[in-house]
Amino acid sequence: MSFDADPVPRGALAATSKGRSTARRAGQASSLRAHRAVPASVRQVPAALLAVLLVLYVAVPFVWMVVTSLKPAGEVLSPRPQWIPHPVAWINYVVAWRSAPFGRYFLNSFFISACETVFDLTLGAMAAYALARMEFYGKRLVFLVLLATWMVPGEVMLIPNYLTISRLHWVNTYAGLMVPWLVSVFTILLMTQYFRALPRELFEAAETDGCSPVRTLFQVVLPASKPVWVTAGLIKFIGTWNAFLWVVVVANQSSLFTLPVGLFNFSGDAGTQYHLLMAAATFSMAPLLVLFVFGQRYIVEGIARTGLK
Amino acid sequence: MTLAWRRTLSAYAMMFPALVLTAVFVVYPIGEAFVVSFLHWDMLTAANRAFVGLANYVRILRDPLFYKALVNTVCYVLLFVPCVLGLGLAAAVALNARIPGRKVMRALLLLPYVTSLAATGVLWQWIFNGQFGLLNALLAEFGLPPQNWLFNPHLTLLNLLIYGVWQNLGYVAVILLAGLQNIDRAFYEAAAVDGAGAWHKFRHITLPLLSPVLWFTWVLVTIEAFKVFLQVYVLYSGTEGPNFSGITLLYYMYEQGFSNYRMGEACAAAFILFFIIFLVTLVQLVWQRRVHVEL
Repeated sequence: MSFDADPVPRGALAATSKGRSTARRAGQASSLRAHRAVPASVRQVPAALLAVLLVLYVAVPFVWMVVTSLKPAGEVLSPRPQWIPHPVAWINYVVAWRSAPFGRYFLNSFFISACETVFDLTLGAMAAYALARMEFYGKRLVFLVLLATWMVPGEVMLIPNYLTISRLHWVNTYAGLMVPWLVSVFTILLMTQYFRALPRELFEAAETDGCSPVRTLFQVVLPASKPVWVTAGLIKFIGTWNAFLWVVVVANQSSLFTLPVGLFNFSGDAGTQYHLLMAAATFSMAPLLVLFVFGQRYIVEGIARTGLK
Repeated sequence: MTLAWRRTLSAYAMMFPALVLTAVFVVYPIGEAFVVSFLHWDMLTAANRAFVGLANYVRILRDPLFYKALVNTVCYVLLFVPCVLGLGLAAAVALNARIPGRKVMRALLLLPYVTSLAATGVLWQWIFNGQFGLLNALLAEFGLPPQNWLFNPHLTLLNLLIYGVWQNLGYVAVILLAGLQNIDRAFYEAAAVDGAGAWHKFRHITLPLLSPVLWFTWVLVTIEAFKVFLQVYVLYSGTEGPNFSGITLLYYMYEQGFSNYRMGEACAAAFILFFIIFLVTLVQLVWQRRVHVEL
């Protein structure tokens, strides 16, 4: 699970030679078969069916959420599911929005997520620059500590971090919500890996010009490494936006709630008014859905590099 | 000052904010959790702290609720991990084929990743609704009797599986899909020339070449599965489910800390969980070596 070990490429490489021999064996074992005559499009039918089934499993609940959110109150609790709301009750969104301070929750979520992302990218990139491009004493130790902490489940730190925050009198403050998460080891490791792969000339040119590391980072490295900033930023933003437990623990007053916690609280008040609940759930995930549509490529890239928050 | 020291100084200057924050909020808490796990402490006053040795651990290991949490968590891990890996692999293989609309399908599978647990928890409460829920409507289509999903303790594990797999399927699929796309297509072309069927290709090319990624995903998913907690919390509106049927190890820790204000027991529970995860990961590491030799 160590990031630096880069399990994907190296592992694939190790398996390559074995794979070649197994592939050859597989080839020898079976002779030419009739199915080669079957056109490619037909052969893909099972794969397509399987994919569609799984996509239905994942997507239908979301569809059902939007459908429910648009139903008039009287039609929600019907024994047989109705897939077309009639008439379409846009008013649910207005009613749900007004039933709780969702505006405030939105602002909190935006503010906290944006701050954390900016800090995470800035501080993470600075650390990554040092780790990737500078020679210094204790480098191995720093690396080792970072990797080790990345492996300890974050939940172990929940209670001590809460204790730290309460000693600092930061319970029920934005500082308490944000400061512990301003830097994520994942970002540091992701960026270190990326910076290492950048051409050496890039840095040498800047150094001979007498640039300081900070200037080199932001004026030379940043323009040359935009994808990794976008990937790390998106993953951090999504993670922060969706963070739940820490907000529950640190924020006891609704003026500090983020959207997920506000929504969870609202679900207690709304009871079985599912049309309102689904409307609130829908608008609470809307900003991330927009982000997802535009940044999908980068998010997938981040996860493929095992971006676990 | 020599050049090497000057470089070291400027490197640490660059890392300073990140290192300080990591030290205060990651490294130090691990140590503090360890220390607190040997204390009796209600958190209300610093004076109420007392060293009690292993008493917290002993009390936890004698607590029937802890065993319920342990059994629930282990059952969840044993069922969740194969389900999510199997379906994730199926999705990855299917999406690796050149079928139309696969980019869109990949995006749809990944939707739960970008939605908060709070939102999806509310959504699944509605789907699991005993009277008007979508799941009961689906059962009715097959002529099956409706279930009171969220109030039947025997169904809690199943609910968590349906919800958990739904939530993580796309994430696993994306990691595995990246692994699949790393496999050289030449293998498949060679096998196709030799007339190998789909199953043969999967068994003798895909599986062995994917095994490093598959192993890695297995470890990752197992660790995540052991930490199951918030899913229960949101699905059951902040309770442990009917008759404590949804209590998990992490939920137990949370309860001890933030409901009972027993910080010592909470930290001890956290370390027991950490220890279990550590052991399991170790076993998986040993297993990996064997698998690699055999393949």
